[in-house]
Amino acid sequence: MKKLIFLLFTLAMSVNFYAQEKHFVPLKIIAIGAHPDDCDSKFGGTAALYAKLGHKVKFVALTNGDAGHQNMGGGILGKRRRAEAKKAGEILGVEYDVLDNHDAELIPTLSVRHQVIRKIREWDADIVLGLRPNDYHPDHRNAGIAVQDAAYLVIVPNVTPDTPPLKKNPIFLYMQDGFQKPYPFSKDIAVVIDEVMDQKQRAFAAHESQVFEWMPWTMGMDENEIPKGENERLEWMKNVYLKQKKLDKSSLAALKKWYPNTDATKVKNVEFFEICEYGKQPTDEEIKYYFPMLK
Amino acid sequence: MFTFCTLFSLSSLNSQNTSNKKLNVIVFGAHPDDCDNKMGGTAALFAQMGHRVKFVSVTNGDSGHYEKGGGHLAKIRRNEAQEAGKRLGIEYTVLDNHDGELLPTIEVRHQVIREIRKWEADIVLTHRPVDYHPDHRYTGVLVQDAAYLVIVPNVTPDTPPLKKNPVFLYLQDHFQKPNEFKADITVDITSVFDKKMDALDAHPSQFYEWLPWTSGKLLDVPENEIQKREFLIREWSRPISDKARESLTKWYGSRKAEKALHSESFEICEYGKQPTDEEIRELFPMLNN
Repeated sequence: MKKLIFLLFTLAMSVNFYAQEKHFVPLKIIAIGAHPDDCDSKFGGTAALYAKLGHKVKFVALTNGDAGHQNMGGGILGKRRRAEAKKAGEILGVEYDVLDNHDAELIPTLSVRHQVIRKIREWDADIVLGLRPNDYHPDHRNAGIAVQDAAYLVIVPNVTPDTPPLKKNPIFLYMQDGFQKPYPFSKDIAVVIDEVMDQKQRAFAAHESQVFEWMPWTMGMDENEIPKGENERLEWMKNVYLKQKKLDKSSLAALKKWYPNTDATKVKNVEFFEICEYGKQPTDEEIKYYFPMLK
Repeated sequence: MFTFCTLFSLSSLNSQNTSNKKLNVIVFGAHPDDCDNKMGGTAALFAQMGHRVKFVSVTNGDSGHYEKGGGHLAKIRRNEAQEAGKRLGIEYTVLDNHDGELLPTIEVRHQVIREIRKWEADIVLTHRPVDYHPDHRYTGVLVQDAAYLVIVPNVTPDTPPLKKNPVFLYLQDHFQKPNEFKADITVDITSVFDKKMDALDAHPSQFYEWLPWTSGKLLDVPENEIQKREFLIREWSRPISDKARESLTKWYGSRKAEKALHSESFEICEYGKQPTDEEIRELFPMLNN
């Protein structure tokens, strides 16, 4: 009899466990860039794929972008860029927070570190994405440092005690860049974003002050070259910023690892991520769990 | 008389210069327990041979617990550090910078410069500026930034400068980027392994409370002393890696290297004095045993 009860009990437990397994638990992903538009350009496609699968994504810009224009600035520009970010977030199906640190003045101070720790904790993040601390813009480098410095500390209750700590150190990933020193970006994870490329483009275009005004100005373009109609602008933008690049050897190797059954010649757009050593170190199996779009 | 005084002061002035003298070793960790964990064995060997070792914790460790904190925790940890120092036969200083908030400021750099100068250090050891905890990384930066400046009289002029830039070494870690740790020097600590574990055991707030809590093993911590020691050894001793074994072979010869059960490795930092192999044998006299 005892045995029977034990058996029944075990059975009941396993059914219960199975039911729990079936219950959908959304993943929580937070991407932290320096300016409103950084996350979109480096992670916009993967973010849209997560959102389509019902997972929760948040973008954070650590600065308000109030220096990113040739004839606008300060609070007025900060306000415009916050509104652009909200629109981009809606297009991708993600939340978008713009913090009020000044553009081009970001320093990895304790107060910025605490802002980052709070954001990661409040989002209860499984995955945190940041920039590498080597990149062309000091804000990018310092944003990278501020995010790195939050790794591990997010689980320490005595640190930033106004916000409850996470139970576990999340996975920390770097978003892609082209810098070679002290070592080139490592394509540890590849995500094919072709099916959401249109969304990524429209989200990027939502940052009008950047895509159609400031960035062309920094590149010495003639304002009059930029078309006015919405569709024409989108086409123009694709050609200038999001031109499809031929996949190089390391990209193809990463693609083959994560999409063994996909014909690489048909793949057009891919986003890559590098695993940071300071967060949880995921196994390949865990990466497949945390990146359910990989197939 | 003047000549005599000069001669006398020259010979006693700086322990950095003379051979056959006591070596002065100073180790900077971010928290009270880091130095113990990374070079407790080597420190015990130095102490046994009559040399002077000082551990410095750059922060007071006041964040390292799940239910204690602040000045209260810092006091507990300072006492634990003192006990660990006693067990190893070395000095232990805990600076009062907050745990989890260390930044490589000029003020903390000056604290580090003063400690190195006052100890008249021949060897300075610390973390690499790549490690999982920001306090570890910034401790590495701070000590790197003290290298060379310790000989500059105009820097931190309240404390007389050293005559020579000491040898700076990194404590071991497993991080791979931008480059992996290099086991330039490896010390066989088999004979003092128990002493090293005694030192870790002196930090109960860490090794039996906080660290198991962070890895979800708090309930695995045993009650009785024998099992506690087994737990400590299980969690905090690592097998000798192939690279460490190679380095042991270089310094001790293959027969002794094969017999070693526990070791500690160090990497030479490029910003301090660059010692020859012969000088390393003078600075690490236990390598000649």
